[in-house]
Amino acid sequence: MTEEMIVLSAESEVSETLSEVGGADPAPTEEYEGVISLDVWTMLFTFCNLLLLFYFARKFLFKPIKNMIDSRQKEIDDLYDDAGKAKSEAEQYKAEYEVKLENATAESEEIMRRAVRNAQLKEEEILKEARDEAAKTLQRAEEQIESERKQAMEDIKNDVSDIAIDIASAVLSREISEDEHRTMIDGFIDGLGEE
Amino acid sequence: MNLSINGPKILWKIPVGNLFTITITETVVASCVVTWLLILACYLLGRNLKKRPDGRQVIVEKLVTMLYNMVEDTMGSHNMHYAPYIGALFLSSLFGSVISTLGVFRSSTADLSTTATWAIMTIVIVWASNIREVGLLSWLKGFTEPIFIMTPMNIVSEFATPVSMAFRHFGNVVGGSVLMTLIYSALALASSVVFGWLPGLLGEIPFLQFGVPAVFSAYFDFFSGAIQALVFCMLSMVYIGMANPPRDELGRTSYQAQKAAKKAAKLAAKASK
Repeated sequence: MTEEMIVLSAESEVSETLSEVGGADPAPTEEYEGVISLDVWTMLFTFCNLLLLFYFARKFLFKPIKNMIDSRQKEIDDLYDDAGKAKSEAEQYKAEYEVKLENATAESEEIMRRAVRNAQLKEEEILKEARDEAAKTLQRAEEQIESERKQAMEDIKNDVSDIAIDIASAVLSREISEDEHRTMIDGFIDGLGEE
Repeated sequence: MNLSINGPKILWKIPVGNLFTITITETVVASCVVTWLLILACYLLGRNLKKRPDGRQVIVEKLVTMLYNMVEDTMGSHNMHYAPYIGALFLSSLFGSVISTLGVFRSSTADLSTTATWAIMTIVIVWASNIREVGLLSWLKGFTEPIFIMTPMNIVSEFATPVSMAFRHFGNVVGGSVLMTLIYSALALASSVVFGWLPGLLGEIPFLQFGVPAVFSAYFDFFSGAIQALVFCMLSMVYIGMANPPRDELGRTSYQAQKAAKKAAKLAAKASK
């Protein structure tokens, strides 16, 4: 027994009584600690062993396992978050597309309406132009006819007066002043034209 | 018949100069074997961890989660860093008790030195936590409460905690081993009475020692060992947990918060002057 050992007084008696039950002492070469005793070296070794186990168990087992569980939990949480986000995003897109689709329908209708209106305007314009053109052509024709009629009148008037002078000179064989004559005949013809 | 109840056998004495002698007992050997086997087991079980666990990892994770849940329930989520210590204590205690069933080693927990060391470690953590929590003076002052006469009582109760923990664990394990020894002797005696008339060598075989002790061993070694490991760890968790109440929102202990408040008051007084 070492001097560091604290042997409780009761222990030795217990140990002896128990030994007496067996009736045989352990072999003299074998030494034992007391049943209830404290040994400094045993305590020191126990302390170191527990610290060692604490250190290595934490390093090899508890920390890696805890990290693994935590990271897996985090991954699962992230996955669920992502899925939720994706779902809400999809719903948002869906709503957006629905609005867009409605707009597109409205727009196409608008385009159609505008095209029809444009066509109608064009039609009216073309018709108006055609009518104007026709009116203008008519007017020009009328003007031309008028001027030609006037020209013809003039020509006829001249011819008639020439013929009249010729006839008169031939009939009368009398020379009268040509200017006097012309004035007289013009007056006569104008009188004709006015009738 | 040879029956003796002894403490752990002293295997070697290693003198270091003339100063002291290192004694290596059966307890030390068992403790070292248990420690290194557990470290090896931790290494083997804790490597190659995968996001998608296989059977081995599922079981290990389940056990570790159980430990963490137990620590969280008993000590609160702010004391989770004590979980590895509690785990190491539990494994040391459980396998220290169970290793005797191999027949080669003596239970390391059947030695008061072992359980006392663990109890002292726990109580030192408790005291250190208390001092950190309320400050040394307030902690010492706490012994004189509620009235001064109670001081010796308070001190005794403070020391009774580790002593009772150590003796409870040690007593259960050593009691179990004593009972197992007695049962073996009694069965040998009964065998020689019942089968002693058989001729020659046949009469000396203790037939009754087959099977019957296994039932008792299952109780005294495994069940009792597990219960005592659990009780020891539970008590450690409760004591350490009580000594480590939740910190305030700044992560300070009540002592630190008090000190900070005092300092702020002093500064405010100075400023108003």
